Amino acid sequence: MINLLTGIDSTASALDAERIRMDVIAGNIANANVSRGLDGKPYQRQEVVFESVLRAQQSLDSPDSGSQTVRIARVQKDSRPPRMIYNPGHPDANAQGMVAMPNINIHEEMVDMIASSRSYEANLAVVKNARTMAMQALSIGKH
Amino acid sequence: MDPLSALKMVMPSSMGSLSANPLQNVATSVTNSIPPSELRQLGSVTSDTPLQTSASVSSGSGATFENMLGGFVNEVAQKQAAAGSAVSGLLSGQNVSLHQAMISMEEANVSFQMMVEVRNRLLDGYQELMRMQV
Repeated sequence: MINLLTGIDSTASALDAERIRMDVIAGNIANANVSRGLDGKPYQRQEVVFESVLRAQQSLDSPDSGSQTVRIARVQKDSRPPRMIYNPGHPDANAQGMVAMPNINIHEEMVDMIASSRSYEANLAVVKNARTMAMQALSIGKH
Repeated sequence: MDPLSALKMVMPSSMGSLSANPLQNVATSVTNSIPPSELRQLGSVTSDTPLQTSASVSSGSGATFENMLGGFVNEVAQKQAAAGSAVSGLLSGQNVSLHQAMISMEEANVSFQMMVEVRNRLLDGYQELMRMQV
């Protein structure tokens, strides 16, 4: 198979990974005030772990030019303790009137979201640049 | 005084290092930049069919170049089909992300442009030949 936009594999995988990271951040922000999650305990912050995968090039003449792609290794739970908030009227309050809220700091999530969207943007710039380079190469010799 | 010697003094030293045949440089740099597999493919077209009389050329192994061109056109068509299926997968709510669809469309676009360029160059060469005075 011809591959005119080389290096686009790793970029596409990075875009996928950033997309998933953004979804996880969206879930964290949405559940920032959930005091009763699926397991009955307060929602726990989730975070993604990236890992790189060596994708061997299909062509046999250049075995050393395998590209490293990115994928989500796992989505793990943040083990920090829940925030305790004093709210005696809350149905989930304990005997002391404290409610366990998720261990999510909304500012931290916003910063993560900015980092993720900038990273996505950078990978899009790579795609754009690869396209521009291919188009310029195709116009070699035009007059 | 020899006018040429004055010219040599004015001429920067880098120009003096140019070899007598600049096309030779271009040819070596081009062959160095082409991957060996492609050169082998080209070799099957060029070296196996040395310039012969027109009758033997037409009956020679010109089919390899034709096959190569046909394979290229087929690959472009495959890229177009992949882009189409990615877009329809995106629109029908399957697990295709937006950038995947856009990247496959971009690949299809670039390879189609490449095919058009190859066709233009071939046609230019053909027309140049047909215009040639015998």
